[in-house]
Amino acid sequence: MLIFTLRRLSLFTFTMLLLTILSFSLSFLFPGDSVINLSGEVNATAAQLVELNLEYKTDQNIVIQYFSYLSHVLTGDLGLSMASQSLITHEIAILLPATVELSLVALLIAMFFGIPLGFFAAIRHNKRSDNIILSVAMIGYSIPVFWLGLLAILLFSINLGWLPSAGKISLLFEIESITGIQFFDILLSDSPYKWQAFRDASAHILLPACVVAIAPATIFIRLSRTSMIEVLQTNYIKAAKAKGLSFKQIIIRHAIRNSLIKIIRHVGLQFANLVTIAMVTEVIFSWPGIGRWLIESISQRDYTAIQNGLLLLSCFIFIVHILIDFIYAALNPLARDN
Amino acid sequence: MAREKIYLEEVFPSPFMQHWLIFRKTPVAMIGFACFIFLTILAVFTPVLAPYSPIDGNINMLLLPPAWHDDGNVSFLLGTDELGRDMLSRLMYGSSLTFGLSFVIVIVSLVIGVVIGSLSALTTGIKSSFLNHFLDVILSIPSLLLAIIIVAIIGPSVSNTVGAIILVLIPQFVHVTRYAVKEEFRKDYVLASKLDGASSFRILYYSIFPNIVDRIMSQATLAQSAAILDIATLGFLGLGAQIPLPEWGAILANGLDLFYIAPWTVYLPGLSILFAVVSTNLVGEGIRHALKLRKES
Amino acid sequence: MNLLDIRNLTIELKTTNQNILAVDRVSLSMKEGEVRGLVGESGSGKSLIAQAIIGVLDDKWHVHADRFHWRGVDLLRLSFEERKALLSKDIAMIFQEPMACLDPTTTIGEQLSEAISSKQLSGFFWQKQKQRTSAIIKLLHKVGIKKHTECIKSYPHQLTEALCQRVMIAIALARRPILLIADEPTAAMESVNQGQIFRLLSSLNQLKNMSILLISHDLENITHWANTITVMYSGQFVEAGTTEQISKKPLHPYTKALVDSSPKSNLQLPPKSRLTTLPGSIPILQHLPIGCRLGPRCPRAQQACVKAPNVTSFHGHKVSCHFPMKEIR
Repeated sequence: MLIFTLRRLSLFTFTMLLLTILSFSLSFLFPGDSVINLSGEVNATAAQLVELNLEYKTDQNIVIQYFSYLSHVLTGDLGLSMASQSLITHEIAILLPATVELSLVALLIAMFFGIPLGFFAAIRHNKRSDNIILSVAMIGYSIPVFWLGLLAILLFSINLGWLPSAGKISLLFEIESITGIQFFDILLSDSPYKWQAFRDASAHILLPACVVAIAPATIFIRLSRTSMIEVLQTNYIKAAKAKGLSFKQIIIRHAIRNSLIKIIRHVGLQFANLVTIAMVTEVIFSWPGIGRWLIESISQRDYTAIQNGLLLLSCFIFIVHILIDFIYAALNPLARDN
Repeated sequence: MAREKIYLEEVFPSPFMQHWLIFRKTPVAMIGFACFIFLTILAVFTPVLAPYSPIDGNINMLLLPPAWHDDGNVSFLLGTDELGRDMLSRLMYGSSLTFGLSFVIVIVSLVIGVVIGSLSALTTGIKSSFLNHFLDVILSIPSLLLAIIIVAIIGPSVSNTVGAIILVLIPQFVHVTRYAVKEEFRKDYVLASKLDGASSFRILYYSIFPNIVDRIMSQATLAQSAAILDIATLGFLGLGAQIPLPEWGAILANGLDLFYIAPWTVYLPGLSILFAVVSTNLVGEGIRHALKLRKES
Repeated sequence: MNLLDIRNLTIELKTTNQNILAVDRVSLSMKEGEVRGLVGESGSGKSLIAQAIIGVLDDKWHVHADRFHWRGVDLLRLSFEERKALLSKDIAMIFQEPMACLDPTTTIGEQLSEAISSKQLSGFFWQKQKQRTSAIIKLLHKVGIKKHTECIKSYPHQLTEALCQRVMIAIALARRPILLIADEPTAAMESVNQGQIFRLLSSLNQLKNMSILLISHDLENITHWANTITVMYSGQFVEAGTTEQISKKPLHPYTKALVDSSPKSNLQLPPKSRLTTLPGSIPILQHLPIGCRLGPRCPRAQQACVKAPNVTSFHGHKVSCHFPMKEIR
């Protein structure tokens, strides 16, 4: 286990280094003065400019500049957003939990629907229901997510009026943002309208989360179907049949456990994919998350925001990856020597 | 009646022919293939086939619904948008942009990725583990995000989108090629060639490549569907094709403002994207199915 | 009365262009307390027969038989569920690679307790648990595993192959079967462990009068442990009889070749001479010869061999050949 941890830590540091180098070089690749790109002070006076240059050590060679950038990042100073002139760390601290919330709910929905459907398709392999599930999965996989989001808004918000189409929660509720994650905030706040707020927030998250969840759900269907078909053809399932166990018992007691173990790792790895889809969905549903902020910054040419937002987002995704690797290795001793 | 074949000949088709024969027998895959060919022909011959120009609009025919509606006009089969441009022609030109460009992207990144991948599979030691880690890092960032970033740096335009997506798809091909070549290297027939004295390059070219072509093809179809979706998404976000280029995602973004009065400007481009991606996926599924069946028999 | 009576069992695979008869009209019968060996090369269809008897074949195989009696009950008249219920009560099977036949994610103890049906236990819930544990320990002792606590808590990959095979036998014994089918139980083991497993099976046969159908490709090994032997080749029935008859007076050329190729019969050969074998190899499923499938390889084959031979019996020694070697010896 120790060697595994060390290898993962080394991978982590290596990646962080790479990501920071990439983000540092972005400040030179973007048009404009690199110092302004790094700090975000667009309206700096001449004196402030001199100060900034000293801070970021622009007069010395590039390695020292990189290290000064690194020290800024590690102390939490990511500069100001060029468009809004507020601290980037501040903005991200509010926006990132919203994206996490959306992605997690979508991941849960995708797992909850995708994996059992895949198992069901595998049990009825080569029969009609298998083919139907596969075709539906293929279409779900091919739909462009922004189109799906628009159609969903059209159908559920406008025509049927069941679910709201924008924002995290209705403006009538004033919930203090403590953790940043809506549902925890609602439960922690002492507003008298707790349960209505909860219901309202759930209604707001349902449609975007479902839209985000569709593509990963189809991937899960395919993954769990392949894994279950593989498990059903193994020798121990045959031996269990010969032992006299009924088919249902075999599935519940042996097959599901073995198939789940195979796919849990891939499920975790889909998180990155999910976050990207969530980014596009946020734009359509006006969900206040980091994806929408990043895309707006790109259209507004807010280079500091792009640079540091990118760094933080990739960091976050990579940390989640490593965590999942860890959890998987902790649960399954056979995976530790990979 | 005289029979031509008196002796039953045993025909042993090459692996590629075997795949093709199995592929031909799967009706769904053939339908996808037909649609794929249809889209390719459309993409190539659009300037000849399209009834109207995609850029100039007819001021008298603003926001016409499709021909099957009451207010529609049969000479504008799929209606017009807010500047009077014919939807059908726009979509046909868009196919050459979205679909045709994705094809080009896949071919370029395939060539580069396979070359890099096979060369890197021959290296061992520190270089190899460095490359491994590097690839892991790049592959863990989702392709759309990387593409958005690259476009953010070099500015939004169609050619930049193409370059960005090529850069993003290359690591996928490198990974697949590397994995496949490494796997084949462990097999005995490669060992036999090596013992015969073949150089690495010769082994690669004569022994290994014919055996991994199918895996690379399957990855190519996956990459193409991803490329189509990425081009469309970038176009939708305003980072790809700029006005007035009729790329499908950009058409969709255009029609967004008039969603309620003219929903067909949103439905139709989305349907075209869906059609293109589904046919690519069907072809890919057919290839993978043929691969699986051939391995079993 | 015969325990198991199968006549003309045929197992075929329907592919798109042809019907492949993987097992072609094989007859098998077993008496109580008998150890019968089923011998054949790999690819001769013996595992298919075993799986067909116990009913774990996939849907792609089609099984027909003229007669399929178990203890007098005609199984062909019953429905699939009834047949399965009847057979799983009385027949148990152990497989070739025991470690692959145990679920890698459950402990041995759990897998053993699954095999013990709750009808054999009595009493209340907590009493049943204790009874289950004591039953498991008894089973493990019966197959010769003394360190039962360690064994119960471990996972299959932590045990050796021989130990896993003993666990499989224990699982098979849990239902107190009348017939145990052993499908090449020792193929993945060294000879020391092989001897142990065979001794265990033999003691089970003698002490509990349990019949065993021993499937193997090693004729010499089988002659040591089995009472009667059936020989198969490429899905067809070749010869059947007592061990004495088969090893001393083989009537079919194939059996004779098998007996001759064992090291014991080659002891008299001068040094540096070729060992006696039958040239060629077993035909593949796509290109099965018509009639007697040994035809292309058989040294005594003649024109009549393109028609499949019938079974003739000489004092209980059945052989399926147009030209059996009854004149010689």
